[in-house]
Amino acid sequence: MIVFFQACLNGLLTGALYALIGMGLALIFGVMRIVNFAHGAFLMVGMYVSYVLFDHFGIDPYLGFIAAGLFLFLFGQLIYRFLIRPVRDRSDFMQILMTTGIALILTDGAQLIFGADYHQVNIPLVNRTLRFGAFAATAASLLSFVIATVLIAGLYLFVTRSLTGQALRAIAQNIEVAQLVGIDVTRIQGLSFCLGIALAGIAGGLLLPALYLFPSVGDDYTLKAFVMVVLGGMGSIEGAALGGLLLGVSESLTSLYLGNQWALAVDFAVFLVVLSLKPSGILGRQRT
Amino acid sequence: MSSLRGWKPWALAAAVLACGSLALVARNDYLLQVLFRIVLFAGLGLAWNLVGGFAGQLSLGHAAFFGAGAYGFALLSAASTPRWVALFLAAVVAAAFAGIIGRIVFRLRGPYFTLATIAFAEVLRLSVTNLKLTGGAIGLSTPALFSGRSTWGMLYLSAIALAVTAFVINVYVARSRFGYYLMAIREDEETASAVGIDTASYKLRSLLISAFLTALGGALYGSAFQFIVPDSVLTIDISLQMAIVTMLGGAGTLYGPVVGAIMLLGAAEVFKNQFQESHLLVYGILIVLVVLFLPEGVVGGLQRRFGGR
Repeated sequence: MIVFFQACLNGLLTGALYALIGMGLALIFGVMRIVNFAHGAFLMVGMYVSYVLFDHFGIDPYLGFIAAGLFLFLFGQLIYRFLIRPVRDRSDFMQILMTTGIALILTDGAQLIFGADYHQVNIPLVNRTLRFGAFAATAASLLSFVIATVLIAGLYLFVTRSLTGQALRAIAQNIEVAQLVGIDVTRIQGLSFCLGIALAGIAGGLLLPALYLFPSVGDDYTLKAFVMVVLGGMGSIEGAALGGLLLGVSESLTSLYLGNQWALAVDFAVFLVVLSLKPSGILGRQRT
Repeated sequence: MSSLRGWKPWALAAAVLACGSLALVARNDYLLQVLFRIVLFAGLGLAWNLVGGFAGQLSLGHAAFFGAGAYGFALLSAASTPRWVALFLAAVVAAAFAGIIGRIVFRLRGPYFTLATIAFAEVLRLSVTNLKLTGGAIGLSTPALFSGRSTWGMLYLSAIALAVTAFVINVYVARSRFGYYLMAIREDEETASAVGIDTASYKLRSLLISAFLTALGGALYGSAFQFIVPDSVLTIDISLQMAIVTMLGGAGTLYGPVVGAIMLLGAAEVFKNQFQESHLLVYGILIVLVVLFLPEGVVGGLQRRFGGR
């Protein structure tokens, strides 16, 4: 039983980081109706930013993630301006192709620059284990969890309380009416795209101490982010956070009972079941 | 759609014969291997075109059928099925698999559809990677379809046969009621359904044919390299290549996938030494450029400009 709860705990610790990734994707989808197939690639870029800062300047990844977020926010502006905005009103088909193309360029670009080697950051926090009675967790994963939770809460407050956040939700609910009441749709959409990508970058920075880094590390996360977002109801930010936590726990339990190699397959199986039974997700409502 | 009357069928037949005769002239295995890849992907693009082009359903999961063909062929041959029987049986199995997948994914629209196709292919890849029967991550050896000195020449001719078959099916679809229904679904699925087209059934039929052809291509690919691993025949890269080849040339056109295959695999060959492992960078740049500047593809764009419809 202890083993079961320990696995749930591990799952929640990872799940909070997943929640950040999923909320970023949900933000972009909710406000822009664009499915970002490059989400994992942006996460990978965040990891490399944090890694380079650590490797060249000795900056701790727990500071580096902020830089990763800022870098991706600015990088997102460029991508949005030149590649995303031109396809904003085009078919799903073209938008999916565009973001897939961006993902290929980023992934193989990283491979060209950094090579295909695996990298790892060694910080003392990763090796320090904290014990709470029968349970244990590494200091690094706890710190990542705390930071992620604060960010999730902050994002939630931003979206529900601030004026910009309300404009954002208004666009998600009904873009025509949002335009009529004087919301600058283009500006808000650009903002949410950059914010969504910055969240992926931050999550990348926070995942860096726990993972090996290589150019295609983000590929799985694109698909995982979709799973979370579909689980929670496409476009619902709270739903995506819940989906992230669920996915973290389900992966951790799959690893425990079936073996680590099946975790991703179970993710997709869950995804297909949810898609075919309740495409609007757990919290979501069907939108047109 | 372009008409195929008068001189055109003869010109096409002559072109195919000219391509085929290269197999006799070229004594260079490397050259034949490059030609094999180009023609194979032209055939695969034409197969994808039925679903992604005519019916407008952006599948990024065709690697599942490609891999099913390759693995089906390897496993059936290992169970001492005659090679040519195994080849076609594997394609039938893949089409049956497509029937199951199609029933689920065709209920979904737009991004949901695309995501579900990816998820199916990934579940298959991960299962094959983790199961003993399929040799796990180590892979399976695949029997050669041809023995003797001109193996690559024969493989190249088989790829031509596959591409020609796929092309003829595309021509049939472009001119038939079936094809018009698919295009109606692409333009507006609600309306198509409202005027009485059984959209689910027609989409499924196009997928069955497409999966059958794709699986034949996968089996050919497996037998060409005589060894398959999940990461060579079930990876999303295969699905992407099939889609890109078609989009680059022009989705829903007859010559698009052929032109796209020559461009994409030609570019990959030219840039192979510059970028080595990063050859997908070229694909990414091509996709972005096509989406921004040539959304109808090369052939689609030309047809619009010169009114060759």
